[in-house]
Amino acid sequence: MTNQTRLPQHLRKIAHVFVDESMQDSPIAQRVKARLEGTTQADIPWTVVAPGSDRLEFEQGDDQALYLKEYKGKFLRFCPGTRAYHCCGYRIIHIGENCPMACSYCILQAYFQDRVLKIWANQNDLFSELGDAFGADRNTRYRVGTGEFTDSLALEHLTGYSHDLVGFLNDHENVVLELKSKVVDLTWMDAAKRTDRVLPAWSLNAPFINEHEEFDVSTLRERLEAARTCAEAGFRVCLHFDPIIHYPGWREGYAEIIDMIFDYVKPENIAYMSLGSFRCMPQLTPIIADNFPDTTYIYNEFVPGLDGKARLLRPLRLEQFSFMVDRLRAHGMDRQLYFCMESTEVWNEVFGYAPKDFGGLGKRLMEQAFGD
Amino acid sequence: MQLSSEILTAPADTMRDTGPHLFWSDKPQESLKNSINEFGQTTPILVQETTDGLEVIAGHARVSILREQGKPVLARLVEEADDVEKGLLYLADNAQRPLDDAMRFAALRYFRPLMDEKQLRSDILPRLGVKPKSKDAKLFAAWLDMADNWQAHLLAGRVPLAAGIVLGRMEEADRNAVEPLFANFAWSRSNGVNMLTWLFEAGKMANCSTADIMERAGVNEILRQGLSPKDCIARLNAAVKDTRYPELSALQEHFAKAAREITAGTRWRLNQPNNFETGGAEMTVQIKDADQLAKAVKDLETMAGVSTWETLWKLGGKDD
Repeated sequence: MTNQTRLPQHLRKIAHVFVDESMQDSPIAQRVKARLEGTTQADIPWTVVAPGSDRLEFEQGDDQALYLKEYKGKFLRFCPGTRAYHCCGYRIIHIGENCPMACSYCILQAYFQDRVLKIWANQNDLFSELGDAFGADRNTRYRVGTGEFTDSLALEHLTGYSHDLVGFLNDHENVVLELKSKVVDLTWMDAAKRTDRVLPAWSLNAPFINEHEEFDVSTLRERLEAARTCAEAGFRVCLHFDPIIHYPGWREGYAEIIDMIFDYVKPENIAYMSLGSFRCMPQLTPIIADNFPDTTYIYNEFVPGLDGKARLLRPLRLEQFSFMVDRLRAHGMDRQLYFCMESTEVWNEVFGYAPKDFGGLGKRLMEQAFGD
Repeated sequence: MQLSSEILTAPADTMRDTGPHLFWSDKPQESLKNSINEFGQTTPILVQETTDGLEVIAGHARVSILREQGKPVLARLVEEADDVEKGLLYLADNAQRPLDDAMRFAALRYFRPLMDEKQLRSDILPRLGVKPKSKDAKLFAAWLDMADNWQAHLLAGRVPLAAGIVLGRMEEADRNAVEPLFANFAWSRSNGVNMLTWLFEAGKMANCSTADIMERAGVNEILRQGLSPKDCIARLNAAVKDTRYPELSALQEHFAKAAREITAGTRWRLNQPNNFETGGAEMTVQIKDADQLAKAVKDLETMAGVSTWETLWKLGGKDD
């Protein structure tokens, strides 16, 4: 007992592992089993899921389950952006669903209302689909990421998924992979042959928001220290202010974190940086109110946007964006900055130009990702 | 519990037609009176023998009418019905009645002390036309935890069922502050829920009590004005909405002022279509003949030269 180690904080609620019968001997299943060995969670139950089982029944209070699943759907997808606003054109590599951390604003609460963390254990199928897509034309460039339906690195300690993916993509020079996270796990770095084809990325927020609305995540300093480590190793990083929250004291809060960034990395270390105001499907608001009763930013002046999502009233967004962009520009940021899902009006008001002026946001970010 | 297959006759005065299981016993409907006058009693009521005589299990309204008319009552005998069974028989006998939320809630209040929450959800709610996992089921559960004074408002139809969620989220002091709003008016679902939600959310956002928000919005002053219920509710809603959405309300006011200036003396109307998410406006005009069309075109030309458009273009932007 004395030699038992503890899993990272954000994995300590995992109390059960489910594995599809067909995935029992998969490398991912073997690895999860091995990495649980010797930890305080070594004895959590494993349940084999028979073929054809509809859905898992797992309801144990605050506990979470890890489900190593044979996924039958598409692994490479388009980001579900809408036409009403400018989308970054990012492609998603779908490696799993749900997240062990708890951020009050997270849309995954509405998508997945259970406490089951799913990982697609049939990696060979995933690599096969990706190989077909990326190998079809080596001159077609892809900017891809795994952090849409899950955090890219949250389960890395157990699964090593990103390590495998980075290794696989070493043979595809036409692909840049962004690993977007709120935790620190840099074990994937060993697998990267080229530092210019992986973009480690962290979400950032005002310290108050980090302390009051994000739980079981790494601190802002830990994230920025990790970004510095990556920069020192030759990688460029991405940083994302999304969601930007309008709360009392937001000016001081966002000024503090913006200034803090440049204590750790230089503008040239940053491939790109997004700014996105908090927005959500209307059905998420009551879920946040139930799950996080102390959260108050959801009661700000939100109105239905052009895509039907609740958005902060435009003048309030403009006020925050202008403040942050001015401060970031003062630190030397410029071309790397972009808005996630914003209108031409907002682009023009804050940046003085809109994506059509530089050939579209997708094109700009592709250039930034590949370091053109 | 058993139901006899025989019909007995007894004077109405020998029957006890009170008890908590008669949870929808209100004044008999005129149509039932007319029917009994014309045809007599067409269906027997349900009674149970007790040491105090016959207890009415279902059929309170018929007993009441027949008692008035001094006529005997046809009844079917129920044996050994416990409180749950009495309630279920009452529901079964009233299965054809159209239900509203107050009636459903009255039934749930009767059954709640007699069974656990699971049974209440799975057995009683469907009999009341409510799906056990529906939003309404959640609302009824929230109302069952509410204080008696608030339950009385729901039973009286003064507050909508849908208000249960926001009332449940409020602190007791905040609920006490809003209660006078429901003392004299029957609120529609949308007005009632909007009013409570805006008050609650404005309080959360400003980190102050609902009473403070009501003071800021001038709610108490409006209540003192002696307006008709319709006017009072409309004015209260407008005042509280302005407090909940100050920036949006200010933009809307500026827009309305600019629109009035631009369209003065014309049939044209200006509308901001998307909560200022984009600049600009929608223009509409109603015309029904060629003369009105010609006038609208001429008005449009005149309107195009009004300088107020510059104000309108900028609304919602940084330099607004």
